[in-house]
Amino acid sequence: MASRLYQWIDQRLKLKPLEQTLLDEPIPGGASWNYVFGSATLFLFVLQALTGMFLMIYYVPATDHAYDTVQYIQHEVWGGWFVRGLHHWGASGVMLAIGLHMLQVFFDGAYKRPRELMWIVGVILLAIMLAFGFTGYLLPWDQNAYWATQVGINMVGSVPLIGDFLVKALRGGETLGALTISRFFAIHVAFLPIIIAVGIMLHLFILRRVGPAGPHDETRARAGSETFYPRQVFMDAVVMLGVFGVVAMLAISVEFPLADRADPSDHSFVPVPEWYFLFFYQLLKYAPGAWGPLATWLLPTLFFTGLLLLPFVDRNPERHPSSRRVVLGAGLGFLIVVFSLLSISLRDLYAVPKRDPSVIRGMALVEQFHCKTCHRIHGEGVNVGPDLSFVADRRPDREWHLQHFKDPQSVSPGSFMPKFPLNDKQLNDLTNYMLTLKSG
Amino acid sequence: MEDGLSTPVGTRRSFFVKATVFISSLIGISLAVPLIGYVIAPALQRRNKEWVSLGKADALPVGEPKAMDYTMTEKDGWQEIHTTKGVWAVKQPNGEVTVFSPICPHLGCGYRWDQQDRLFKCPCHGSVYDMNGTVKAGPAPRPLDTLPSKIENGDLLVQYEEYKSGLAKKVEL
Repeated sequence: MASRLYQWIDQRLKLKPLEQTLLDEPIPGGASWNYVFGSATLFLFVLQALTGMFLMIYYVPATDHAYDTVQYIQHEVWGGWFVRGLHHWGASGVMLAIGLHMLQVFFDGAYKRPRELMWIVGVILLAIMLAFGFTGYLLPWDQNAYWATQVGINMVGSVPLIGDFLVKALRGGETLGALTISRFFAIHVAFLPIIIAVGIMLHLFILRRVGPAGPHDETRARAGSETFYPRQVFMDAVVMLGVFGVVAMLAISVEFPLADRADPSDHSFVPVPEWYFLFFYQLLKYAPGAWGPLATWLLPTLFFTGLLLLPFVDRNPERHPSSRRVVLGAGLGFLIVVFSLLSISLRDLYAVPKRDPSVIRGMALVEQFHCKTCHRIHGEGVNVGPDLSFVADRRPDREWHLQHFKDPQSVSPGSFMPKFPLNDKQLNDLTNYMLTLKSG
Repeated sequence: MEDGLSTPVGTRRSFFVKATVFISSLIGISLAVPLIGYVIAPALQRRNKEWVSLGKADALPVGEPKAMDYTMTEKDGWQEIHTTKGVWAVKQPNGEVTVFSPICPHLGCGYRWDQQDRLFKCPCHGSVYDMNGTVKAGPAPRPLDTLPSKIENGDLLVQYEEYKSGLAKKVEL
């Protein structure tokens, strides 16, 4: 049935030659698991586009609705947490896939003549992907989104002469607010997707005009070739399934809750960028005083200029790694710096002092007694009673909490909080937890 | 020739083709199910109805339609909105109260009470009903829709519902 339908269409549209162009591209040296990274990147990009479109069904890009709509997607829409999880982890996946893809191309010397244009377009695609990450990060409008974007925009402000103007243009005025979120949204869902779609097509067009590079090993390359379809397609499909499985498992098993609603007056909040910006975040800590601005704009500029010029600087036609020690050494040096910075940053971030076991028991009691059906704590729960995210700022007194849990109305007349059957140990644990809920 | 350096043919080829189709379908289905559910979920949700008090039933005049405000808190997606609907309450001589939906069953306009003719009239397409909701003239396919109502402790309690327009039978939306 399907094949007869295809025949019917083919007789009219003459699809066979097109099919041959698309699928019968020869791969020198045969299909290989080394060539799956580009397809994995493309797959993740399509997954991002798809989940992003579905998120837009419920999301509203305005300061007074964005946070509520994301909470709604996360907690109330059927499967919403999964769609959002796929988009969140897919974003990390795209960055990782691009990184691996670039490493493979770099290691194999596949950026060299005649594939310079493919490399240049690829570097531009990387920059667009980072722009996707930056603009998408603001959209949930939680504390992390707001403050991380403040920092990001201020870094743009360090560009000489036009920095101040760029900052205002990005924010849509003096402050980060309603105009910022709507323009970030438009850039994220309309401008960048069109630009990147054209870029990806160009990248693939060049690939088809120049042909795949094949193995760096001359003898293997000369041994023969096979067509892209079916074995390379099969390998790509297997990897796509694996990638999808990992992203879906992360979406299912690792919860990614929102932080508190964006509060421009709360300067105590410490934003953390996404992991793929972390090495840079750490680097900025080592750029004191006058060097700071240079690190915030000069280094990224040099990085991208370096990448763009790589095929013209490294003109050694040899592709085998053993003949390219200097370039590969430089690449390795760069990776060592990036991963050292990343690991220092991760260590600092996760070196949170160990929690008092009593506090952990207190947190468990909050779940056990369903406190969050009336109280919100850091974005989770319902605001029937007071938000407890920073309750210790208002109520630093231990005795008050103990008395309040025993008999709410005795210290808070008119409160409709019920008395819970708590023993002394539980009272103590719960109070210890409450006292950790402070902004400082 | 070394393995992998020629395009597979025959059963080997068809294995790769079938495996690729299988994998693509697997990814496609595992995405389609949650994504479709995600989109259609709101369509499957019932509106939750609550009994709302419109005031004391004693205060209603017998045999005179009275426009009353039905104020409810509705969940509209991620937001809660307070909406007020006007409904028509008619107290019968035996003390029972009939409450009419304010929407004309013909095509959904709002109808009015004409005090002079003592008839409900819809300005859109000219449907006319008497005080009991019976169709007296015009294209209306069925009588005015009554809303579930009861009197408890003297309070008139009403559940707001909406019905499909244009049908001879009253079908809840």
